[in-house]
Amino acid sequence: MSGKEFFVSRYEKLGWKYENVKPKQAIRINVMNTKKADVIKRLEALGIEFEKIPFLENGYWICKSKFSVGAISEYLLGLYSIQETAAQIPATLFTDLEDKIVLDACAAPGGKTVQLADLMQNTGAIVALDVKKQRLPALSNQLERCHVKNTIIYNLDARQAPRLKITFDRILLDVPCSGNFATDKDWFSRRTIKDVEKNAKLQREILTEAAEVLKDGGEIVYSTCSLEPEENELNMEWTIKNLNLQVEKINCYGEKAPTNIFGKQLDSSIENCRRIWPGQTQGFFVCKIKKRVDAL
Amino acid sequence: MKPIKDFVNRFDASINLDENFIVKKENRYFLLNESLKNLIKKDFFYGGTYLGKTKNGKFFPSFSLLMMIAERKANKIIVDKKTEWLFICGRDIFKQGIIKVMESKKRGDYTLILNQHGECLGFGKILRHLDKEKEGVAVKNISDIGDFLRREA
Repeated sequence: MSGKEFFVSRYEKLGWKYENVKPKQAIRINVMNTKKADVIKRLEALGIEFEKIPFLENGYWICKSKFSVGAISEYLLGLYSIQETAAQIPATLFTDLEDKIVLDACAAPGGKTVQLADLMQNTGAIVALDVKKQRLPALSNQLERCHVKNTIIYNLDARQAPRLKITFDRILLDVPCSGNFATDKDWFSRRTIKDVEKNAKLQREILTEAAEVLKDGGEIVYSTCSLEPEENELNMEWTIKNLNLQVEKINCYGEKAPTNIFGKQLDSSIENCRRIWPGQTQGFFVCKIKKRVDAL
Repeated sequence: MKPIKDFVNRFDASINLDENFIVKKENRYFLLNESLKNLIKKDFFYGGTYLGKTKNGKFFPSFSLLMMIAERKANKIIVDKKTEWLFICGRDIFKQGIIKVMESKKRGDYTLILNQHGECLGFGKILRHLDKEKEGVAVKNISDIGDFLRREA
């Protein structure tokens, strides 16, 4: 079970008609390092045309630029990061990040780690994990470029987070996933439903260990850039049933997630998750989960 | 700590870093904060603020350390926009691109390179006395922030 026709018909069953999209390039201003107005003025002076992303506080779409926005001083000085629009959403869903102990369980290449540090104003601590050693230099380069001071990086599988013997106030699970066609032109020819199921299993294993190291009253934000329900709504259904966690209401860009997946009725709280179909952004899924009140 | 202190001294500057918060991992130095100090384990890859590394007895500073020095009294030059661009592309600095010199103008001294916003772009070595020459290469580029791109290429 694979191919464009197979996957597109699934999306139609979930209520979205396939269209070819080209998401705009986006940046996010690192307000811990600069004033937003100053960066805007400097980019305008360079002739870069951009537009505020209406649903993100510090996000801007690049409309026109004669040169790469990833090769100028303002970028190299960490005044902003290049970060896909939907990928800017998860970190903003946490409450009260300052002075907290935060786990970024699948951190490389570090766009969201920097964003967390920015939202924390470099206070508290972020523990950033990544299982692939070869991805750590990219992560540490991002931290150095953006003057992040509150992060420790470990070369560790997210499923081994309990080995650190730390409990966390906030956990970001931007889990490894199957991706989507909006950012990968060969996606339909490369992916099969088996890949999706394999990733969904890995994601459930990561969720299980994250629940172990979450403090009472703590928050987990779970996100994928997959459009496949096995990695999204169905994994959240599994989480509710198996991990004493509940899905919280969130207020962000995206549609309410469907609660009927190919005929299977899910818990009504799943609609609190947000599904973002490709368009102005890539495809994305995001939700916030907490320990069930009766489990505390 | 000595390699860091010796390096900072080359800019006629001094910096007070609390040694209790500095950790060395192999040949790399990091500055932690209170929270990180309580959490860090031996097998970390990176932590807090990266200060630099030693290799073959030589110290290679991080850009965070250069920024910290730039916040203090130290040898610095401010360059114009065109020179800023050329410098971050790895070029040396011509006398004509220098707007202001702070502290040393002496040949052989290290100096920080700042843009017109006062942001540190890297550092270099003064090649000829900055008062005596009117044109030509004045500062040799030793390290610049364009390195962030070159590292990943």
